[in-house]
Amino acid sequence: MMELRKTLTGKIALTAVATVILLFLALPIVVILVTSFSNNAFASFPPDTWTLNWYKALFADGSKWPAALSLSALVAALSTVFSLIIGVTAATALVRSELPLRSAVFALVLGPLLIPQIVTALGLFLLFEPAAMLGSPIAIALGHTVLASPIAVLILIATLRGIDERLEDAAASMGAGRLTIARRITFPLAAPGMIAAAIFSFITSFDEFYISQFLSSVDTVTLPVQVYNSLTFEIDPSVTAVSAILIAFAILALGLVALVRWLGSGRQESLLSVENTVGVANPAGDAV
Amino acid sequence: MAATLTAGAPARPRKLLASRRTRVGILYALPVVVYLLVLFVYPIFSTLLLSLKDADGSFTLHWYADALTGVNLSVLFTTLRISAETAVLSLVFGFVLAQAISRLKPVWAGLAMLVVVVPHFVSALVRTYGWIIMLGDRGLVNEWLPGGPYQLLYNELGVVIGTTSMMLPYTVLLLYGVMRGVDRRLLAAAASMGAGRVTIFRRVYLPLVAPGLASAGLLSFILSLGYYITPALMGGPNQTMIATLINQQVTKENQWNGAAAQGVILLVLTLAGLLLVKVVSSLGASRRRRNGS
Repeated sequence: MMELRKTLTGKIALTAVATVILLFLALPIVVILVTSFSNNAFASFPPDTWTLNWYKALFADGSKWPAALSLSALVAALSTVFSLIIGVTAATALVRSELPLRSAVFALVLGPLLIPQIVTALGLFLLFEPAAMLGSPIAIALGHTVLASPIAVLILIATLRGIDERLEDAAASMGAGRLTIARRITFPLAAPGMIAAAIFSFITSFDEFYISQFLSSVDTVTLPVQVYNSLTFEIDPSVTAVSAILIAFAILALGLVALVRWLGSGRQESLLSVENTVGVANPAGDAV
Repeated sequence: MAATLTAGAPARPRKLLASRRTRVGILYALPVVVYLLVLFVYPIFSTLLLSLKDADGSFTLHWYADALTGVNLSVLFTTLRISAETAVLSLVFGFVLAQAISRLKPVWAGLAMLVVVVPHFVSALVRTYGWIIMLGDRGLVNEWLPGGPYQLLYNELGVVIGTTSMMLPYTVLLLYGVMRGVDRRLLAAAASMGAGRVTIFRRVYLPLVAPGLASAGLLSFILSLGYYITPALMGGPNQTMIATLINQQVTKENQWNGAAAQGVILLVLTLAGLLLVKVVSSLGASRRRRNGS
């Protein structure tokens, strides 16, 4: 595309418009971060005076936030465990086996990502309401796993595809059993992908709103539902502080994923070079 | 040790090995399949069933008739209109931004992509709240715009601004991928044959990215259909969307059958959209084959 509209004015115009669009994406977040420290949490921007009151208010007596936060953390932790179990097994089946109806299984996995979440939420409500499980952290976590596990499966499929099967063959040729291979070769190589899958499952569940709203009860409210309620029914300026914490949390999680990916990126190469120095047959050594 | 040696040795008959791999595959696929059948397929199936049942359990189409008349019908039209407006805007913004990023040097492109990706992972509720603060009477936007304050919230303008910013990361990421996939030699070839910049853009580049544009637009349309966080918080009573209606019917009116019918309508619209995406992308694939890239 460099060939098109190469003129200087065109370039400047495109850059200016692109900058405005980037601001369109970033400004709501910046504004929240700044406002959470502002004395005047609902009106003027930039703020006149600064304060930490909204953060202090989160932990004041009678605040609903600690309970909502701990419920969300519990639900997200459960959902992460469920998603990892489902993700690891499903990715193994889809990448490393001869699976009948593979494309049907794959379509099933993609389903929850494509169907409107409100429809999934309504269906889960119809499932859990008669079972009197509304408000149960287990029910909410089971519901969140419907959305989180497909993401875990997709990440782990990519992870398994990226692992050179010859490493496992090499280990087998040197007498390692299947468990040893899984423990010493496959697991260490898949670990960065598994950590990424866990982080994304956790965020998905932690931020999930539609299912939480349908499966919550009056006493058990997840953090996003509490944020929504604070924005619709109540006037609670400390919601800016919660929002700022959620932004920090999202950035931290993304940074963690990037770090894990970066730390993991050298592993396979180093194993392959060990393989070469040890002198194991490497039929396609030049391709490594 | 001897046992592990035979387990690892590739000396088994091929057939046996294949059937073992099949058995392992079925075993490992069981968790995800069982999970999603029980907690995804069955609930949607029971939604469908419920939408076709009357209070006494007999078959009826009453809930669909109800969903497609009066106020409910206008909610359906509002949903389609807001989703279409959002799709067009996120497509246009997404195209311009992806275009600009694809011309940047890698370092700057990486930074720009970060600005696209980070908001995508920040809760939609939080970003919506940011918009509410920004678009208020004394918010950032009204402070900057001369001649204000303008009514930017609790109307369709507010909803479309907010929803577009939620869908934009999807379209940018999709279109950026499509643009990087374009074989630049085709553009150079057209230029070498004497085509001007506008002609190259119109006759070569646009047809190549058109399927990607269509998919990105349809995707943001589909995602907007079932969305209500932003419309509910940034809109007024005239911006009620199907998802909000479903939520109200269940939580306020205890009207499950009606909510189920609304849900099925939303599902059908979504599936129709997805089918279109599939058709469009297979058209794109055959076009790329014809172009020999």
